[in-house]
Amino acid sequence: MKYLFVAGAAVLVLAGCTSNPDSTEDATPVAVTSSDSACEVMPTQAPAGTVVFSVQNTGGQATEFYLLRDNDEVVAEVENIGPGVARDLVVDVEAGDYVTSCKPGMTGDGIRGDFSVVDQ
Amino acid sequence: MIGNYLIGLREGLEAALIVSILLAYLVKTERTHLSRHVWTGVGLAVALSLAVGAVLTFGTRGLTFEAQEIIGGTLSILAVGLVTWMIFWMATNARHLKGELHSKMDKAAEAGVGALVVVAFLAVAREGIETALFLWAAVRSTGSGTTPLLGALLGIATAVALGYLIYKGALRLNLGTFFTWTGAALIIVAAGVLAYGIHDLQEAGVLPGLNTLAFDVSDTIAPGTWYATLLKGTINFTPAMSALSAIGWLAYVSIVMTLFILKVRTPKPARTAPVKEYAA
Repeated sequence: MKYLFVAGAAVLVLAGCTSNPDSTEDATPVAVTSSDSACEVMPTQAPAGTVVFSVQNTGGQATEFYLLRDNDEVVAEVENIGPGVARDLVVDVEAGDYVTSCKPGMTGDGIRGDFSVVDQ
Repeated sequence: MIGNYLIGLREGLEAALIVSILLAYLVKTERTHLSRHVWTGVGLAVALSLAVGAVLTFGTRGLTFEAQEIIGGTLSILAVGLVTWMIFWMATNARHLKGELHSKMDKAAEAGVGALVVVAFLAVAREGIETALFLWAAVRSTGSGTTPLLGALLGIATAVALGYLIYKGALRLNLGTFFTWTGAALIIVAAGVLAYGIHDLQEAGVLPGLNTLAFDVSDTIAPGTWYATLLKGTINFTPAMSALSAIGWLAYVSIVMTLFILKVRTPKPARTAPVKEYAA
């Protein structure tokens, strides 16, 4: 049993330490609507800091949402957004040019758009 | 409906597979009384995942992407270590089945009790937080319809049902066949978990080379299909695999499978199960 508590405690500590204490208070909300053929991001600009992308899947197949840097590096992603489901992606971003991408059907490069983060 | 169903199925399948094999092993070796430790691990993992998922979904705190990937990746690699240990523990204990005193055998089993709980815990917790986040998101969306939640729950239920069938099927095998095949199957599953863990850590930026792909067969095996779901859910096959993941997978399978075959093959007149070639 003691192994179990060690494992349990480790998970809790890990989860606790890495969670994001100042996340949603002064976070910028961004609404993302992902359908089978479109990816609508509103607004497409945010101040540097915490951004919460609320991704609503209005399509018929499962989708994923990615935030990429210009060089295709994945900054953050949220997977497993089933049809009719909305999921949040919380991410700390610094100023720069980014690319958003919805991947209905979980394949390919996705439906992309530009996203910019500016210093406040 | 189908989309959410397939996600639930995929997330639940691997845990169901590992837990079924563990339980079948305990029945096979007449240690059914240890089953409750497996269920303790499963129960704690489910409770912890649902709780963490609920706090992150409905609370004021979110979990950053990196943190989630680091937790997922770390738990995966821990799970691989424990499942590997379990495979060899099972193989060793199988050799003691005949001609050994019961007390001696029980002692060996008792030493494994803590580990049984942890293996079951990790098998479920590994994908547990992601699954819980997905489930709670479906719950939160029930305002606009309960179909997504229903689909997700049916998917998980199907995974559990398949696990039960595997359990029943495994019980019918004779002991020698049981150990060789469940061991080989677990090695393939664990290799997949390792590849997945490496990929998670690449996404978190802890390991490099996320976009250096070993292969990409997404055109042939489209990720949203039922067969892609089964492949991903059982052996963690990803249509687009990073080179580092592929190397990890190959290295693990070649090293561990060789050691396992050597172990099972070691002359043992009492058992006659021939060692066959394993296919994934």
